[in-house]
Amino acid sequence: MRNLYLHAIILATILLLYAAKSALAQSSYVLPYPPPMPGSIFYKIRLISEQIQKYWYFGNFGQFSYNLKQSDKYLVQAKTLFEYKQHLLGEEALKKSDMYFKYTSKYLSYAKEENKNIDRQQKTLKEAALKHIEILNKIKIHAPKEIIWNPEKSQPTKILLSGTLAEAIRIRESCL
Amino acid sequence: MMKKVFFILYMVALLGLTIFSYLFIDPNLIYLKDFYSGFVYKHRYLTSFFYLLIIFVFFTSYFLLLKLISKKKIDFKNLRFLIFITIAISFFSYPAMLSFDIFNYVTTGKVLFFYHENPYIVMPIEFVGDPLLSFTHAANKIALYGPSWILLTAIPYFVGIGNFLLTIFSFKLFVSIFYLGTVFLIWKISKNLVSVSFFAFNPLVIIETLLGGHNDIVMIFFTLLSFYILMKKKSIILAIIFFMLSIFVKYSTIFLFPIFVYIIWKTIQKKTIKWTKIFYFSSVSMLAVFLLSPTREEIYPWYAIWFLPFVSMVFQKRMLAYISLAFSFGLLLRYVPFMLFGTHLGVTPFFKTALTFIPVFFVLVYVFFKDKLWLKISFR
Repeated sequence: MRNLYLHAIILATILLLYAAKSALAQSSYVLPYPPPMPGSIFYKIRLISEQIQKYWYFGNFGQFSYNLKQSDKYLVQAKTLFEYKQHLLGEEALKKSDMYFKYTSKYLSYAKEENKNIDRQQKTLKEAALKHIEILNKIKIHAPKEIIWNPEKSQPTKILLSGTLAEAIRIRESCL
Repeated sequence: MMKKVFFILYMVALLGLTIFSYLFIDPNLIYLKDFYSGFVYKHRYLTSFFYLLIIFVFFTSYFLLLKLISKKKIDFKNLRFLIFITIAISFFSYPAMLSFDIFNYVTTGKVLFFYHENPYIVMPIEFVGDPLLSFTHAANKIALYGPSWILLTAIPYFVGIGNFLLTIFSFKLFVSIFYLGTVFLIWKISKNLVSVSFFAFNPLVIIETLLGGHNDIVMIFFTLLSFYILMKKKSIILAIIFFMLSIFVKYSTIFLFPIFVYIIWKTIQKKTIKWTKIFYFSSVSMLAVFLLSPTREEIYPWYAIWFLPFVSMVFQKRMLAYISLAFSFGLLLRYVPFMLFGTHLGVTPFFKTALTFIPVFFVLVYVFFKDKLWLKISFR
């Protein structure tokens, strides 16, 4: 009987450790710190550096890294802006993140055409997609489904945030 | 008689080293698998013994040569022939005997010129399945060298027409041309055969440049070229371009920047420049950078190439010349602990440091007693 308890404890510990490990594996991809936000002087510098880096990261693997890096940054920016109820700016950042994320797959397929082994990059992309979806789902909980935007000199516009978030998730899911 | 002894010893050392280098072929180097013997892994004591023997013979012949030249028993023509022989024989040696840097140069070149990726962003290891990965030791690092070097490697890389062995030997030839250029500049600047021999036949210079193919000589060549241009009062712009090229080979010559600015300033003011002082301070600066290198990684033997060309031009400064020679010897001994123990861990780092500095310590003690410095100090 005593042995049975012992075995049960060992088994439970192993299962617990395994579960903890797999939970960690799911979110092992690390996103960057929030970048400079719109309105700050550093944001303008960031935009210039973003354009310069586009040329520095030449090559298909280079472009893959560049686009994924930018996609990560804009996602973190969107998350931060949504947290501060800056929904319009948040939506804009999210769309940019989506755009960069779509390019990652494009450059990976170019690399494949050049007979480069893309297994490693594909794995990274999947991990990134999982992490992005995790963040997007968190945003989804707190962000309103839609917002009414009142520009100064024109008609108010209804923005469907839920639609943008669903589209962002769909883009990431297509990589899994 | 002395000349004959020198020639025999020098040839023994040079040929011995070239043949001996092939015992170090990496087991993963598929391109030379027919030459792989595994000797250095199976017979560590014997390998260390042969290596030490070659180094001792090399240094003995080097000191004999310096003596012969100072006694004017070897002329310019003889020396030219010796340099040619040295380059020709060393060219056929196996380059990765003591360090694998030449493989890194080729692999970095491949990232840029074959895969068309930025080597400062993409690591060679990302090209899964590339045959070079099985023996390249820094495949998990982005490019370690400056852009001048990476762009210059286009020449040997394309000369190699995609054949690994051809590429390796074209890299060796490329570095040998810069060695020749550096020796030529030392001659043009100093017009002294001792200066030329002090540098050109230093066993460390031969082993690290002509055998190992390290790019430090390229960096030094461009610095000397910029100094030479300023010496001959030619274009300042050209001198700046070459000095920048030098900095962007391996960054170390940035420490000569204050000296370079001083020369430019004096040149603009049309004032006389004391070149002996320039070379003395350049030697001291580069020696200081060399001594500071453990703060970044460790002292690698080929870092001595940073100060040796400058010291060769002020070899009359006895203390500096002695220290440089002691370092040349000690740094080559640095390879012995790894050869013997086969690991970089344990006692190896301690022995490496001890072997590097012990010859310098003995030289300092020798100078201290020979020059009766202790008397000078006590009478002060």
